[in-house]
Amino acid sequence: MLNAKPTIKSTLKALLYLLPMLVISITFSIYPIIKSFIMSFYTKYDFFKDIVSQYGIDNFKFIFADPDFHLAVKNTLIFVVGVVPLTVIISLVIALLLNRIKWLAGFFRTVYFLPFVTSTVAIAQVWHWIYNSDYGLLNYFLGFFGVNAISWLESPKYAMLALIIMSVWKNLGFNIILFLVGLNNINERYYQAAKIDGANAWHQFTNVTIPLLSPITFLVSVNGVIGSFKVFDEIFALFNGTPGPSKSALTIVYYLYQKFYTEWKYGIAAASGVILFFMILLVTVFQLWYSKRHVHY
Amino acid sequence: MEVTFKDVTLSYDGKREILHHLNFTIPEGTLVSILGPSGCGKSTTLMMISGLLAPTSGQIFFGDQDVTKKDALARKVGMVFQNYALYPHLSVLDNIEFPLKMAKVSKKDRKKKAIELAKLVHIDDQLDKKPGALSGGQQQRVAIARALAKEPSLLLLDEPLSNLDARLRIEMRQEIRRIQQETGVTTIFVTHDQDEALHISDHIMVLNQGHIQQFSSAETLYDNPSNLFVAQFIGEPVINTLDITDFAGELDGQIDADILQRTQKVGIRPEALQDHNTVANTLATITTKVTRSEKYGREKNALLEFHGQRLLTTEVQADVTDGQELPLYLQRNGVYLFDKDGVRIFGGDQDA
Ligand SMILES: Nc1ncnc2c1ncn2[C@@H]1O[C@H](COP(=O)(O)OP(=O)(O)OP(=O)(O)O)[C@@H](O)[C@H]1O
Ligand SMILES: [Mg+2]
Repeated sequence: MLNAKPTIKSTLKALLYLLPMLVISITFSIYPIIKSFIMSFYTKYDFFKDIVSQYGIDNFKFIFADPDFHLAVKNTLIFVVGVVPLTVIISLVIALLLNRIKWLAGFFRTVYFLPFVTSTVAIAQVWHWIYNSDYGLLNYFLGFFGVNAISWLESPKYAMLALIIMSVWKNLGFNIILFLVGLNNINERYYQAAKIDGANAWHQFTNVTIPLLSPITFLVSVNGVIGSFKVFDEIFALFNGTPGPSKSALTIVYYLYQKFYTEWKYGIAAASGVILFFMILLVTVFQLWYSKRHVHY
Repeated sequence: MEVTFKDVTLSYDGKREILHHLNFTIPEGTLVSILGPSGCGKSTTLMMISGLLAPTSGQIFFGDQDVTKKDALARKVGMVFQNYALYPHLSVLDNIEFPLKMAKVSKKDRKKKAIELAKLVHIDDQLDKKPGALSGGQQQRVAIARALAKEPSLLLLDEPLSNLDARLRIEMRQEIRRIQQETGVTTIFVTHDQDEALHISDHIMVLNQGHIQQFSSAETLYDNPSNLFVAQFIGEPVINTLDITDFAGELDGQIDADILQRTQKVGIRPEALQDHNTVANTLATITTKVTRSEKYGREKNALLEFHGQRLLTTEVQADVTDGQELPLYLQRNGVYLFDKDGVRIFGGDQDA
């Protein structure tokens, strides 16, 4: 029944179906989230005996005053703002091109998909080489345009840019595939109607492709925002276990990692996690609100 | 705008030909229907006129201009698609306005025009809805309004009324006819409903399996079908078709022996089988047996048996009982003979 009203019985039945999945998500997602929320209020904590002797908001006070955390927030925001729009635009453009050429399309799809199935560490190794200031491919190409050799990974000025370029490249594959699926789902008849209505190629793109692709664009950008806020392994691998020269690539998750694993300040690590959680929540809620008005399902 | 096809052939995949050597001219300012069974190539023909599909060979002219190489954007026709193809993300109003927006009409003017058109097709109470929230018939009307918006000089309609209820259908077809006559826009109207075609058009092109069977006025189609397909396709109830061998000499002497010699099929319109003799018009007499007679509304049909074949007539005046014998008079203007290729060799005006 399409318009059946939920009843207690039907809800219970649904719960029963969901039970196995619920058990798993409660154990591995919900519980840790609640636990880390609580942990962010531990101010005196014996890790080995798991005894909390004092609760308070000192952890939050600490991170709000910590210049490192400020830097981490700033870097994270720069990273998100740098990566997400570039990823969306570049993958859309490539998907549009791939959709056009029938020749070797399968081959190109595979090529673009490769980064997605390759481990970040391996990718970082390759980029290490590309970014090498003396022998790197990138500087070699830039040399053709008269650009002097740049120390991509050693200079605090360029480290974030290097990180962003690599991350965009790594994200492309999967997003191209998503966009290709979206493009294929747009019925040819809308383009035919648009041609009849006098829309040239550009107007067809803005009036048919963009609006009908908006659910995918939304998916790609929400996914990208969340993923980029949580960036960590790219940094770890690209800068050999450091947050970049002069902490130029220190992000919130990297900060959290340092506090947790190297300084054993669990409460502070948890507090920064909570801040990250709310930042992501805020942006995602904004995106959802925006999508209500601009995404056409 | 006059539309001419010169030897146009189309194949989608390069192997199977869908349309074969089409030659026709649609005169400026007329309403022409393309009529034919499902899959005969009606939509395909329309797509080629609109420029969405290029012919495999042959030429298309608008007036005396060769537009074969021009795409849909350059041809500027108005079109209602069989599947409507309304933009799902735009409201009804925005859908109707879209061609005007592309033509850079000012916001105010295009809204005014769109509302006018919406009123014309009785959809002005749905302006803010998205197409997905409309019934099939409502969508169809929005599509018609959108096609009319840019005041094209050529309007193509692909079964624009197929989803409307009977009453609205008649109303809309009169409306289309009225708009067409008022604006003088050359209109090509695809349908598989002969009744619709007969009522609305100046000329009807009957298409079957990618061949033009006949292109003429509705009256000519009915009175002078050029072949067996047209005779069977046009007319309700359907023409009675018999093999010449079903006759036991009833036609001998009435028709040239030479023609009878070449005849394979005989078509008899249901109204050409009368139980009362009109001497001047009577071609022959046959003896039949009544199987069943029925009456619905003002229609009165009788099913008959003739040498083991079934016949249907609408012209039995006497009260008949099932099983009785009934002599019938074949009327000259409703009997056609077709040769082995289905071509009409007797009947129609030439023999009336
Ligand atoms: N895009 C296509 N690719 C290949 N073959 C097609 C395509 N579109 C239509 N055909 C074939 O061309 C023939 C004519 O199709 P068309 O759509 O013109 O028929 P139609 O007369 O409009 O039928 P209907 O009354 O069912 O709409 C059919 O045999 C169909 O299978
Ligand atoms: Mg069709």
